Formats: sequence, C-alpha cells, structure tokens
Amino acid sequence: MEGFSELRMDTKSKVTSQLVDFQWKLGMAVSSDSCRSHKYPYVTVMLKVADHSGQVTNKSFEMTIPQCQDFYRQFKEIAAVF
Amino acid sequence: MAAELEGSKSLSGLLSGLAQDTFYGHPGITEELLRSQLYPEVSPEEFRPFLMKMKGILKSIASADMDFNQLEAFLTAQTKKQGGITPEQAAVISKFWKSHKTKIRESLMNQSRWDSGLRGLSWRVDGKSQSRHSAQIHAPVAIMELEIGKSGQESEFLCLEFDELKVNQVLKKLSEVEESISTLMQPA
Repeated sequence: MEGFSELRMDTKSKVTSQLVDFQWKLGMAVSSDSCRSHKYPYVTVMLKVADHSGQVTNKSFEMTIPQCQDFYRQFKEIAAVF
Repeated sequence: MAAELEGSKSLSGLLSGLAQDTFYGHPGITEELLRSQLYPEVSPEEFRPFLMKMKGILKSIASADMDFNQLEAFLTAQTKKQGGITPEQAAVISKFWKSHKTKIRESLMNQSRWDSGLRGLSWRVDGKSQSRHSAQIHAPVAIMELEIGKSGQESEFLCLEFDELKVNQVLKKLSEVEESISTLMQPA
C-alpha cells in the first residue's frame, strides 16, 4: 500500500463519498476446516459511506495486523500534511 | 518400497508440488505429473500410496501449525511407525516446513477469509478553494482511494473525502484498535 501526497493518484472512481461512520472489530481466527490451529488476529472494519445523493451504504473489509498498522500510519501521514 | 522412494532427493520437489496444489491452489499438479517428473522409475501403483502418505504428513503439520518441537516429535514418531518414513526423509520434510511455514500459513489464512480484504490504499491531499459539502474555503481535503476485494473476485474501489476533522476522528478510532491489539498481544 503506497501513500503519496502529490496530485498523481489516478482514481478509478472520480466521484468521492463521505465517511459517515467507522466501526472496527478485532478478532482471532482459531480454527477452520483448512487449518485446525490458526491463532491469527485480524481487524474487521465497517465503513458507513454516503454518496453525493446522500445514500448510505456499508462497506466492510478485513485487514491483517500489519495491514492495520500501515493503515494507521497512512492516516497519521495525512494528518501531518494537514 | 522401490529404492527410489526411499531416497530423499526428489522428496523436496514432491513437497513443493504438494504445497502448490494443496495450499496455494495452483491447478494442474496431478499425481501423474509429479510421478513422471520426480519418480519416473516408480510405477503409478507404488507411487500413489507414497504420495498420499507424504500429503497426509504435510497436511497434519500445516493443520496443527507445528512449531519446531512439535515437528521434531511428530517426525520422529513417523520414522518409528510401520510403513513410516526414513530419517533422511524426515530431515527433508523438516527443512521444507521450516522454509515454507510462513507462506503456507498465509495461504491457509487467505483460504479462510471470505470477506473482502484490503488490497490497496492511496491518497492525496488537495487544497480546496470551495467544497460542495462544507462552507469552508481554502480548507485542505484528503482524497483516499481504497481497493477492496474478495478472494478471486475483482476489486471494488472506494473513493473517500476527508477533512481534517474526519481524519482526526478516524485516527482516534485507529488508536483504539492499536490499543486493543497491544492488549491482545501481551503474554497471558
């Protein structure tokens, strides 16, 4: 995942949405049918986003711990630019 | 058992092939391909039980996510079994697991993730002179693009706009996550 503050980002979707709410959950995968002993933590994020018409949708995704830490780092970088 | 099967030379290659098929999901690694490439002198009838045995051992090790002590104990037991493995083969398996453990574990993690994962993230900060969404002018705005997607499916791109207040709200949430992670990772 890269973060950069120049105007070079080529967005696939030109229309931006607003973040309405950010919820998170820290979980631990214990076991699954492919592996009886997982023991890996992961973070699930639920974003409520409002599009330009005001319609709100939920988007959720999972991150590994290193991904989540990088996610946090990116936001700190944005705050630093502000 | 054919002498070729007792040797450990081709076993490393066999384990790689098994990992490709069983864990990484690469198609086309058939029993016949493995036999003809690695054990051409061995008949299919003799090869099959050998392959099943090695597959079973590898799956047991991966499923239990064995650490090195457990691995040693497990492989030693296998060498003492009737129709088990040779000490040389145990050494090859041990070496294989030590170098592939992380990658195999990651594959297994991905196999059991059915929600979307975060595939990419990029952002920029614009200095906006006007905004549809707020009366502020000359306020910087962060545009963030999140790429999310489920295993084997195309990505969805989410483009979000954040003002300074929003960024700080998210930062606060993320610091809560960090704190939870730290608490979780602390030894019991």
